[in-house]
This record gives sequence, structure tokens and C-alpha cells, in this order.
Amino acid sequence: MSAGEHFRFLENVLPCGDEGLKPFRSGAPLTVQMPHAQAEETRVDWGGALLERARAGDRRAFERLYREHVGRVYGLCLRMTRDAQLAEDCTQETFINAWRALGKFETRSSLATWLHRIAVNVSLAKRRRSGQVEPLPEEEEGMAAGEWILETPVEVQEIESAIGGLPDGARDALVLHALYGYSHVEAAQMLGIAEGTCKAQLHRARKLLRERLGVEVS
Amino acid sequence: MTESTDQGRRTVTTLRELPQSIEPPQDLWPRIEAQLEERAPGATRGAAMPQRRRGQALRWLVAAAMVASLAVGVWIGRSLMPSAGGGVAPSTTANRSSVPVPGVAPTTFDTTYVSDPRYERQRTALVRALQERLAALPAPARAKVSASLAAIEKAKKDLEQALGRDPSNALLQELLINTYQDEMRVLTDVHEASDPGRGI
Repeated sequence: MSAGEHFRFLENVLPCGDEGLKPFRSGAPLTVQMPHAQAEETRVDWGGALLERARAGDRRAFERLYREHVGRVYGLCLRMTRDAQLAEDCTQETFINAWRALGKFETRSSLATWLHRIAVNVSLAKRRRSGQVEPLPEEEEGMAAGEWILETPVEVQEIESAIGGLPDGARDALVLHALYGYSHVEAAQMLGIAEGTCKAQLHRARKLLRERLGVEVS
Repeated sequence: MTESTDQGRRTVTTLRELPQSIEPPQDLWPRIEAQLEERAPGATRGAAMPQRRRGQALRWLVAAAMVASLAVGVWIGRSLMPSAGGGVAPSTTANRSSVPVPGVAPTTFDTTYVSDPRYERQRTALVRALQERLAALPAPARAKVSASLAAIEKAKKDLEQALGRDPSNALLQELLINTYQDEMRVLTDVHEASDPGRGI
């Protein structure tokens, strides 16, 4: 990683603004909104001790954080890269970068979200290096955030396959917004695109999913 | 919202029901740990930091001790030993009490690492006679001997301190023994160089 890339990396992975981040809680009841829940805060506080130890250089503590978060990181990398080997590499690099930047992590944000930011950066960088860059769609306004509800139930394997077949930009936006619950703003920030572009990608993803699954996606 | 059939054919009605967490097919931690080890992040903190600093200090110490030993050896070879051209002229005006000889008092000598009684006897005798022998040397030679002995004493103290922190360090032990030997060489050379029988 060059000095410039490293600087950009640090800039990109650091949470910005006071708006706060909205981490999605796995196993939480599904709701349209994803508010900060008390349980989440408790979990983060508990993890804070581990985090502090890791920041002090305790590698065993960092390993425990790795064990706690690797599934969500690998899941995101796999969906973004569509390649198991590449996803492993991205996951590995994500945690290495996280270790190196732990001192700059601001505890007011969620570690899970921070790791996702790093994972998105790493995955996008790998994709750029492999020359897979697609033109961005026109920006779109007025599309409301919401649950991506399928008119009829669809098998997990089928829908995963349909998501995997989406163009990169549309898939990235869909995965971050519809699967991991990030807002348009957050997803756009993580992907380094304008909010309107993110919405346009989601619109495109919805349209393509509808066509490929043969069911209405609302 | 979820309508499950069996494990492999679970159906969902919203995208949020898709699994967020997917375990990698293999444990990635060993590779990550190996990378962290390899890169030994200079920017990151960690327990390895004091170890690195210690290693760095040790390197400086070793270098300083070697330079001191070398300087003493070179000086002895060039200045103190009698040369074919006549050697050093004796000084008859030297004042014994005015010659400072830092760090050669027998009481400061730590015999932890060198406990051979013959060595101790010989060294004690040489130190006892040192003032007298130094007085027989010309002032510039005397100053050089004093400076050399001071450098040796400093190296000994540093090495002994380092050995106090790391007693089993073989390199430090060897350096300390070498330093003792350097000191003995200087004391012996002073003794011989100022011997009236050698014509100084």
C-alpha cells in the first residue's frame, strides 16, 4: 500500500460526522428502521474491553474480536467479490488493516461497521486492480428506503444467485443497504459514491432482481 | 416472515432474512497472525515494542563496547609499547598524587563473572602498583592510559547493568570477559612500559 493509498484508507475507514452509525444487529427482530438498541450498546460496551486490550497490542484480544466479526466481514466480502478465494484474501486484508489502524478507531462508532468500511474499501480496491470498473448510473432522487419485500417466498440459494449475478455497482449498493441495513447515506459513503448514485444503483438492482426472480420486489 | 422448509431450501420474503454472517471455509486467523508477525507494525503498538527497544539498546551497547575495546587496543599498540626508535622518554617530574586514574579501584570490581583467583591476585597487584607506574610515564601517555581505563570502566558498568537485566545473554557475557581482558592488557602494558629495566 503506497503512502497515498494508506492515507486514503485511513480517511475512508474513519467514521465521519456526528450523525452516528447504525449497525445492524444480527438476530434482531426485523424492522423497517434499524434503531440503536439498548442490547447493541451493551454488546459494544462489553466488546470495548477487548478492544482496549487489542489497542494496547494484545493479539489474543484481537483474535477474539476476529472470531466475533469474521463471519459478517467474510459474508460482505463474498457478496462483493463473488469469489471465495478473493473473499478470503479481502477478509484477511481487512483484519490486517484493522489491526494497523486500531489506534485511530473511534469507539463511538460500532466496530462491526468500521470493519465493514474497511472490508468495502479492500474489496473495491481489489476489484479496481483487476480492472472491473463499470460506469456509474445517473443519479436518482426520491427513492424511499425500506424493506426489500418479495411478493412470494424465494429460496435462499436462488436469491443469493440472483444477487450474485447483478452488476457490481448495483450489487454493492443492494448488499450494503438491503442485506446489512446501512442507510443510503452510509452505503454511499462506504462505496465512495454520491447518495443519488447509490439510490440509482438500488433502483437498478430492484429492477434486475424482479426480472431474474420473476417476483415483485417492493 | 420466514417460511422454512428444510435446511437447504429455506425461503425468505425479505432480503434482510438472508444470512449476514457467512463463515469462511477455513480458519483465516493463522494467516492473519503470520502477516501481523511478518509486518511487525512499526506504527502499531504492542507488547513487542519494549522488546524491540531493548534489542536496539543492546546493539548500541555492543557497538560501544567494541569501539572502546578497539580504541584501547589500537592505542596500546601505537603509543605505549616501546618502539624500535627509542620509546617513550621517562618523566622525572611527574607528581603521583596528581594523576587521576578513574575506575580502577579494586572495590569497584565485580567478580561475578570472573572468579579465577589467579586473575584476581594479578589484577589486584597491578592496580596497587598502577599509580606508581603511571607516575613514571610522560604526561601525554598517562592521560591516554587514564582515558582508556575510564572507557573500559564505563563499558564494564554498562555491560554489567545489561547483564543484570538479561543474565543469560551469552554475547554480553563474552563482551564483559573481553573487557576484563582489555583492562588487564592495559594494566600489564603500563606495568611493563614503565619498568626501568625496559629502558623507558
